[in-house]
Amino acid sequence: MGNTITIDPITRIEGHAKITLHLDDSGDVAAAHFHTTQFRGFEKLCEGRPFYEMPYLMERICGICPVSHLLASAKACDALLAMKVPPAAGKLRRILELAQLIQSHALSFFYLSSPDLILGMDADPKERNIFGVAQKQPELAKWGIRLRQFGQQIIETLAGKRIHPAWVVPGGVNEPLSVEKRDKLLTQIPEAISIAQKTLKGFKWQLENFRAEIRTFANFPSLFMGLVTIDERAGYYQGKLRFTDALGNIVADELDPANYQDFIGEAVEPYTFMKFPYYKPMGYPDGMYRVGPLARLNLVDNCGTPLAQQEWIEFRDLERSAVLSSFHYHYARLIEILFALEHIQEYLEDPIITKKQAKYSASLNNLEGVGCCEAPRGTLIHHYRVNEEGLITFANLIIATGHNNLAMNRGILQAARHFVRSEKLTEGMLNRVEAVIRAFDPCLSCSTHTDGHMALQVQLLRPDGKLVDEIRR
Amino acid sequence: MTSIVLACGNALRGDDGVGLYLAHRLYGAICDAETEIVCSQQWLPEQAEDLSRAQLAVFIDASVAMKAGEIRVRQVRGVDEKPTATTTHALTPERLMGLAREVFGRAPERAYLVTVGGSSFEHGAEFSEPVKNAIPAALRQIQELLCDEPVRVG
Repeated sequence: MGNTITIDPITRIEGHAKITLHLDDSGDVAAAHFHTTQFRGFEKLCEGRPFYEMPYLMERICGICPVSHLLASAKACDALLAMKVPPAAGKLRRILELAQLIQSHALSFFYLSSPDLILGMDADPKERNIFGVAQKQPELAKWGIRLRQFGQQIIETLAGKRIHPAWVVPGGVNEPLSVEKRDKLLTQIPEAISIAQKTLKGFKWQLENFRAEIRTFANFPSLFMGLVTIDERAGYYQGKLRFTDALGNIVADELDPANYQDFIGEAVEPYTFMKFPYYKPMGYPDGMYRVGPLARLNLVDNCGTPLAQQEWIEFRDLERSAVLSSFHYHYARLIEILFALEHIQEYLEDPIITKKQAKYSASLNNLEGVGCCEAPRGTLIHHYRVNEEGLITFANLIIATGHNNLAMNRGILQAARHFVRSEKLTEGMLNRVEAVIRAFDPCLSCSTHTDGHMALQVQLLRPDGKLVDEIRR
Repeated sequence: MTSIVLACGNALRGDDGVGLYLAHRLYGAICDAETEIVCSQQWLPEQAEDLSRAQLAVFIDASVAMKAGEIRVRQVRGVDEKPTATTTHALTPERLMGLAREVFGRAPERAYLVTVGGSSFEHGAEFSEPVKNAIPAALRQIQELLCDEPVRVG
């Protein structure tokens, strides 16, 4: 007789979710579902509001990656105004985006995932957290805190506050960067780069200890999607969308994000509020694709900055074609931190960055606009329609975590089939199933617009739906 | 003496924002202009470094467990707690003091937690009457702590 396992709440992710594992009559895992159980409905509540309010309303979706929502929303408003932003503003927006990537990736790697890597997947959950890491490896905890601080400090220096800044506006940014502030940021970059390099070195040294996890954590063929620039680098702030397959072949390229509905479909399932985007030409669910750090490093032919390029070459040597294991999201995240630091340095050293012209003005010129950028977790799309008065009549958001929904569900099924061997749950098993989700670094408050605490529940259910075992955190 | 004020709360959830309000009122009203004032929705691990640079720390927060308008001051013993939480969303002053000591090598010699009891934590930026009435006394006690004047610690 089969059963179902429920993991509820899932810990050390951003948001609130549970996992159910359905067992067949022989006790093997037959199906796995990742549920997000609440929603907030930003698309609906913004209807009737003036479009120029959108950047500040939409960034409230998230406290971790508000900058991405701010930028995607501002870009959608730029499209409504049919305008470009001043060159300095474009670069300042890019710095802001990369700074957020640094702080968000540092949060994911050091605060949320390093306990698994440093203390072990089977460690006591009471100690398996950042405080346990601080006791065992205080230097590593310090590096994590420093990197996150530096990312936040850049955001505060440019935009006035660390969370929910109002500095980015349709048409540019509100205030230029002073030479003094620029110089102060530049002095701190060498230390941050050194930390990123030391962390990468330590992480690579540890990889041998996680062979089973690398083999079983959402390690399967899929498409990858992300923004790519004209010079073949990952396009964090802008670019055209590219899809590649598991062999590294380009499936579709030069896709204008404004036309996303031509190639991205959005499916729903009854067990979760998070939608399931898919690549339309392959249908649902075969059109599963992954986004985020792993995808971005799989999509491009070069990384674009000297130190990150060396690391990227080594990373891509893990596989002959695309790197498929989602465990390597962690690895890709660290390389992206290094890239972001180098790239911020390049932007800050560009004399244009302190130019005074920081925004242009225009009135409403289009009734529809799409803004797209790469959030830390992957591609983010904001799509608005307005009436002649500039009031929002329609909004649709596709969030990075949502793009990964199909892959996350398949990933927990793969890990559960490998690690779950009986009806009785063990802590190590539970944590490995959670850790698959953690590797994707989902932000559920973004992707479902949930309101509440992040938590995990694992339920073990029979085929008839009867609860057999359950673990909650 | 280097001092730091760490206030937390949500300014859009009624009485929950009283800690932030008190911290903002401290600007220009405290003895030492060098005192660092840090406001956030919750206490965060990265604040451990700020804390490690100070000799005196005053944490300010609202409480759902106390009578509305009641003010309590207690000393924070910077003992290294054994980690119990699985989240970084619920840091206590003790945990933050411990993190400062473990990661950055030192924590303030003296630290206090000032809490103000609240009764309304609904959406909105208004304080309840008991909290409004408690603000002058809470502010005075925080100033006395920062000016190293004797304060009754419970």
